[in-house]
Amino acid sequence: MRSDPDLAHAAAQGSEAAFAELVRRHQAKVRGMARRLAASEATGDDIAQTTFLTAWQKISTYAGGTFSSWICTICWREFLQWRRRQKMEIEFDETAEIIPFDRSADQNEMRMDLTRALETLSEAQRVCVVLCVATGLTHQEAADVTGWPLGTVKSHVQRGVALLRTRLENAHVA
Amino acid sequence: MREQDTYKDLSDLFRVEDNALPAEPFTRQVMQAVRKQRMIRRLVVGSLGLAGASIAALQLPALLGEWVGVDKTVTQALTTAPTELSAAAVNQLSAAAMSNPMWLAIAAGAALCIFAVSAFERA
Repeated sequence: MRSDPDLAHAAAQGSEAAFAELVRRHQAKVRGMARRLAASEATGDDIAQTTFLTAWQKISTYAGGTFSSWICTICWREFLQWRRRQKMEIEFDETAEIIPFDRSADQNEMRMDLTRALETLSEAQRVCVVLCVATGLTHQEAADVTGWPLGTVKSHVQRGVALLRTRLENAHVA
Repeated sequence: MREQDTYKDLSDLFRVEDNALPAEPFTRQVMQAVRKQRMIRRLVVGSLGLAGASIAALQLPALLGEWVGVDKTVTQALTTAPTELSAAAVNQLSAAAMSNPMWLAIAAGAALCIFAVSAFERA
């Protein structure tokens, strides 16, 4: 099986097949990340599609390293752009409020406990949990992607995970 | 223990959720968008190139016309110059000779020198 850097190199030479393989490999991670960040499946998929289109345009700038980290950085920027367009800028700090989600009651009922529990976290905690726990980036990679200090990311992940566990336990008890 | 190991169980739950997403429709959709974007870019670049080539082609007759005109003028000037020059020189020489025969002797001496030098050079 060809490695990600090999496929990226071939895609940079214009190979659509190589890029399609990269999309196939990373779509689950990117879509999951975008859906959880945007807290909407449709918007998440739109962000993920834009992410891959941007990746196709900038594939020649990929200079090796972890491809998933590179694509997640693009996804994060696309998410921020989408947020800017939505005029919903939020201060990403520990005091950030929990963001209410525009979701119908029916949809809420259908969602899994995990996603629902994630949505109860603060914005900063949710971002860090999505990047590190759900997407699988290391704390350092998440700090690089967001531009936040490593200590802040670690702290948000730790608190977010603890809260997530509590919420899940409560949901199961109930 | 690595930092990720403390929440591996949660990561696995998220991964199961992500892996349940059907890959092919999304991949097909992305690749269609990529092809569309590529086609639009080619179309834009091709159209601009064609427009540039058309403008250049339109300028070509005028450019060539001016070039031929210059060429004719220069050729004509170069062709007629020696004739005119030699005719003028002969006229001036004969006029000088008429006014002072000494010029004839000087010209004859110069011609003899040039002839001698050229003959010696060939030898």
